[in-house]
This record gives sequence, C-alpha cells and structure tokens, in this order.
Amino acid sequence: MEPSLVALDRNFSGAAGDFPELLRRRGLLAPGATANSKLQGGTPHQTSWQPTEATTILAFKFSGGVLVAGDRRATAGNTVVYDRADKVLEIDRHSIMAIAGVPATAWEMARVLEHSFQYFRRTQLQEMSVDGKVRALSKLLRDNFGFVMQGVGVVVPIFATYDSHPKPEARLYFYDAMGAQFEATDYAATGSGSPAVRGILYYENNWGAKRLQKLGEDEAVSIALRALDTAAESDTATGGVDRGGKIYPLIKIVSREGIVTFPESKIAAVFKETVA
Amino acid sequence: MIEEPYRWVEAIANRREYIEAQLASGSPIAALGYRDGILFLTLGQRRQKLFEIYDRIAMGAIGHPGDIERLRMAAIELASTEGFTRSAADVSLRRLVHYSLSPVMKSAFEQVYGAPYLARMLFAEVGERPEEDLFLRVEYDGEITTTGATFAQARQDFAVLSGTQQSREQMESFLKADHAPDASFETALRSALDAWSIGHMTLQTSDAKELPERAAVTKYRQEHLANTQIEAGILERDASRAICYRPLSDTELRHLISD
Repeated sequence: MEPSLVALDRNFSGAAGDFPELLRRRGLLAPGATANSKLQGGTPHQTSWQPTEATTILAFKFSGGVLVAGDRRATAGNTVVYDRADKVLEIDRHSIMAIAGVPATAWEMARVLEHSFQYFRRTQLQEMSVDGKVRALSKLLRDNFGFVMQGVGVVVPIFATYDSHPKPEARLYFYDAMGAQFEATDYAATGSGSPAVRGILYYENNWGAKRLQKLGEDEAVSIALRALDTAAESDTATGGVDRGGKIYPLIKIVSREGIVTFPESKIAAVFKETVA
Repeated sequence: MIEEPYRWVEAIANRREYIEAQLASGSPIAALGYRDGILFLTLGQRRQKLFEIYDRIAMGAIGHPGDIERLRMAAIELASTEGFTRSAADVSLRRLVHYSLSPVMKSAFEQVYGAPYLARMLFAEVGERPEEDLFLRVEYDGEITTTGATFAQARQDFAVLSGTQQSREQMESFLKADHAPDASFETALRSALDAWSIGHMTLQTSDAKELPERAAVTKYRQEHLANTQIEAGILERDASRAICYRPLSDTELRHLISD
C-alpha cells in the first residue's frame, strides 16, 4: 500500500465514488489503445497471433428470475485452449456479467466492475442504482474500444441483475463491443454460437409450450442446455455439453434472493432426462 | 514561532490541548468481539459514526466530520486498490494503519503551520477465528494502540473509543470484567450498551475513580435508549461470504434488549 495520502487532499474523488478513475490516477488500469495504432503494421508473426476467446453465452427471464448460462470452451483460432472456462461471473449479490470474447479483457472488466460497485457503496454509503451499474459496464467497454479496433480485445457481455427500486423485477441487458447497452425484454445471447441460440429462444418464446417468462426452473435449465448443445452442433468454438468428459455449461440464476449457481448434479439430471 | 526547539514543543502541547478539548464531547463507541463476529455500537444519531472500510474491516470515529471523511475515504481507497491489484486476502488492517494512516496523521499533527486531523478512530478486522480478530485505535497524533497481548496486558477481545481518556478507561475496565470473547450476540449487545452508558456517564463527571453502581448504569441506559437511536454494525465471522460487514438497524436490535 502507498505510504502517502497526498492524493487525499488533491482531489475530491470521494464525491464521485468512481473506482476506474481512482485506478487510472494510480496507474493501475491499463491505458486504452487507440484505434489507429494498428497491430497489422507489425511483423507477420504478430498478425498471425490469435487471442484466446470465450464463446457462447445466453440469458433469459423465466418465472424464477433470470437464468444466465455459458458453455465452458475457450479457443484461440482453431485451438481449444480450455474446456472449463467460467464465463458467467458474479459481480455482486444480485448482478451477473456473462462474457463472450477475450477472457483476459473480460475478466479484468469484471474485476473492475466488482470493485467499482463496492467502492461506490462504501464511499457514498448507498447502493449504486441499476442504471448506474449498467452504465459502468458500458463505459468500460467504450474505454476498451481501441483494443477492439486492433483486433485483440473484443468483449461482448450480457449483464443480468435484480432491481428492487422502484418496481422489483429482474433486468437483463446485452451490449455491443463499443459499449451500447440494450435492455432485453425476454432473452439475449452473444458469442459465436449465438445465432443458433437466438433462433431457439425465439422459437421457444413464440411457439413453444410456454413463453420463456412462464417457464419453471427445470424447464428453463432444459432449454438453456438444448440451446447450447444446438450451438455446439454447428459452431466449433462452442463447447456445449461434453458427454464424455461430463463437462456441463455453467448456469446461474438471479432472483430477488440473490444469485444461485445451479448445481452440476442437477444439470446432469436435467440433461439426462430432457436433452441427451 | 518555531526557531527554538522548546517553542515547537510548546506549540505541540497547545495543539494537543486544543484537540483534546474538541474531542471531549464525543459519544463513546464500543467494538466487541463475540463468538460469531465483531459488534460495533454507539448511541446518538446526529451523524453516522460507524463505517464499512473493506470486506473484513470496519471503522468507528469521533471528531470533525470533514476530517473523519478524509481519513475514511483514504482508508477505503487504499484497501480497495490493494484488494483490486492483489486480492482481498492481501488487504490487512495492520498494514493499512501502521504504514499508511498513522504516518500521515503524525506528520499533520506535528507540522504546526498546517491543520491536524481532528479525529480519533477505532478499527476492527474480523478473522477466521476469534483469536485472529484485530482491534486498533488510532489517535489524532498517529499513536496506535492495539489490543494484542503484550508484557503489560493480556489480549483483549474488545476496544473502545471515547471523548476523554477517563471515560475510555472506565469502559475498558468494565469490559475487562464483563465481556468474554465467546459471548453470544445478545450478551455482547448488552455489554456494549452498558459500556456505552458507563463511558457516556463518565464524560459528564470530572473525577470518576470507581465504576458506577450496576443499578445506576441500568437506569442511565434505559433513559438514553428511550429517546436515542442505536447505531450498530457487525463484522460477521462467516467464511462463505466475502463481505462481512452489515449495518444493524435500531428496530432490529430493540427486541433483543430485554430490560
């Protein structure tokens, strides 16, 4: 820790409670790249380098809150880097950020976000509003856009949370790589396998047995598993369900009570009964 | 003013006297380690006096609100950046106070042309086991007192803060006899309320050698509880959660106080 508190008197950061700003002041946040400092100008070695990427994530509202699911595969080009990647990250007691894109950047964003919310709450002595949280992620994405233009740091997240004010309800947002935020009424999916997932969720929501918002917990988990398995069918970057290795997608549920990680044994049971 | 050393000593002594007078009316704060965590408690709701600093660290303070605010903000900034760049487990109250807050408070106090911090603070960090709980009191001049075992005293599982030294010592001698580290929450709450009452009673008297009578303490406590709000918070000893601090509302506590 720094021995000096000189910064204390020089600024009034406390009044804003802005954690990324504090990190920047201390040189702890990587400076953003600019769009025109292109990597492509470098050696052939650089252009052939492929960043690790995480793939398909989805989220939809159901009767018990919002379900957020992600497959477990991380790839770099044609190579599978990791088959147990965690793309569904808890940010605070009621917020989940799920990531598709470069994990190095995404995990750092999640970390900044997690600390930002707590820092705001502790310094300002009040919880950050849901709009404030949604916007905080949007700002991080925009700051990262220089790296996206260089082709190395694209992140396309989904943010799910439970809003207690003014009307208690689950809220779901998805973003583009530049930081635009879109509130989803029913479902969202991003990542390489998302076209297939969106097709399934659209179909289920309109012509399925029930609308997504009416589904019970096990039904919701079943649809999430089917959607990811379908995505994995045509998209090599999506892990889906690894039947041999018994690796299942990660599923978390946000509700008024907080976040629950759906246990793997229960996922396995639902998978066996309704998917496999 | 400070060409000669003794003038500097005199200036410091005056400054000490001035600050002590400013702090003298500060309502006591008690922090008690009990079986499931650490309880912070004070009475009187003129302004908030108990604060969360980081996952396992909380603070209580008396003094000028502006100075408390600057120190609180500094503590949160330091803990948050440390927790972000390394991990929450690397945030340590001992380092925060010894290496960051205390030196700054000391130099502000001794630079007689600048303003000192008008604040007295009590920090606690909850450990995995009661023996690992840490209590630290920091004075306006950077002086640090811990409750760990030394040659002079056994380890204490509580720490208190008050406007005057006399008041603080009365509270300490009460808790030394009354409080046990394996107390239940209800017992700790009662001890904390009694300690506050004793501390507050002592603030109004000029010479209190003996602890007040039990009945007098009870009466004083009941009188004050009748028209004053309790401010309290706990650091919960629960390994499953990252954020241990939870403020407790007045209504939550009222039904636990029997008499």
